[in-house]
Amino acid sequence: MPNIHDDPAALKALQDDIYREKILRARKQTMEERLADGIDLTNNAFLRMLEGAMWQLGTADEAVGTMEVRRRMERLGRVSDEGRFANQRPSLP
Amino acid sequence: MTVELLAAAVIDACEAEGIKHMLTGAFAFNLYGIPRATKDVDVVLSVESSGPMERVIARLDPVVEFNGQVQFDTLTWGRRLVGVARQKSPIKVELFELFDDPFVMSQFERRRQLFSKQINRTTWLPTAEDVIVQKLRWGRSKDLNDARDVLAVQGTETLDMAYVEGWCAKHGTATRLADALAGIPPL
Repeated sequence: MPNIHDDPAALKALQDDIYREKILRARKQTMEERLADGIDLTNNAFLRMLEGAMWQLGTADEAVGTMEVRRRMERLGRVSDEGRFANQRPSLP
Repeated sequence: MTVELLAAAVIDACEAEGIKHMLTGAFAFNLYGIPRATKDVDVVLSVESSGPMERVIARLDPVVEFNGQVQFDTLTWGRRLVGVARQKSPIKVELFELFDDPFVMSQFERRRQLFSKQINRTTWLPTAEDVIVQKLRWGRSKDLNDARDVLAVQGTETLDMAYVEGWCAKHGTATRLADALAGIPPL
């Protein structure tokens, strides 16, 4: 079976197909359904993060897992905010 | 705490203080684009002084811990306060003060009301066009992807593209808009 990564045009076509499917699926939804999906995805993502953290740390203690998720989210926040937010405005010339 | 309960708590705090507000960020994006998860509840508040904001923060204190540090958006120098949900999932709450940037004011004035069954609240959200303009203005790669997704899902034939193009011209983001449109495959 050919490796699609060796064929940029085929890879782009596949990526477009996947993206097209997502767009068309979202188009069929109402605003309320899209909002609801976003909420469900968010809640589930945090549950997965907790499960993943507990598994990686080898713990059954949810509190330990939650602390680790908080630590990771705080790091993500710093990455996301880098250059975007400052603690003070620059002085006017 | 689930993200919808957190959003409801923020809306309730704003309503109790009589503060006009608008959900923004991924909540707004999800209305119009391809639904995705978010790590925060972003809200714009129309406040004249720091008092009302402090009262909102005080009302949220049982469920959200704010760090007390006011931060500034380096693009527009708007003020932001950040808190994190106290229980379980560390979802952030970001409160942005409405300020006198022409687009920010226009977006807020054009906000629309929506009742969400999941949040179980009536709330205010920006229009699809304003989500696109704002995302293109911020310009991080995820913002550009979000702008493209809203353009793709809504379709340029249903959007007020003259409005979007007008603001993009003012913000110098016309090239980003063109690139976003070029990134939509034939449907």
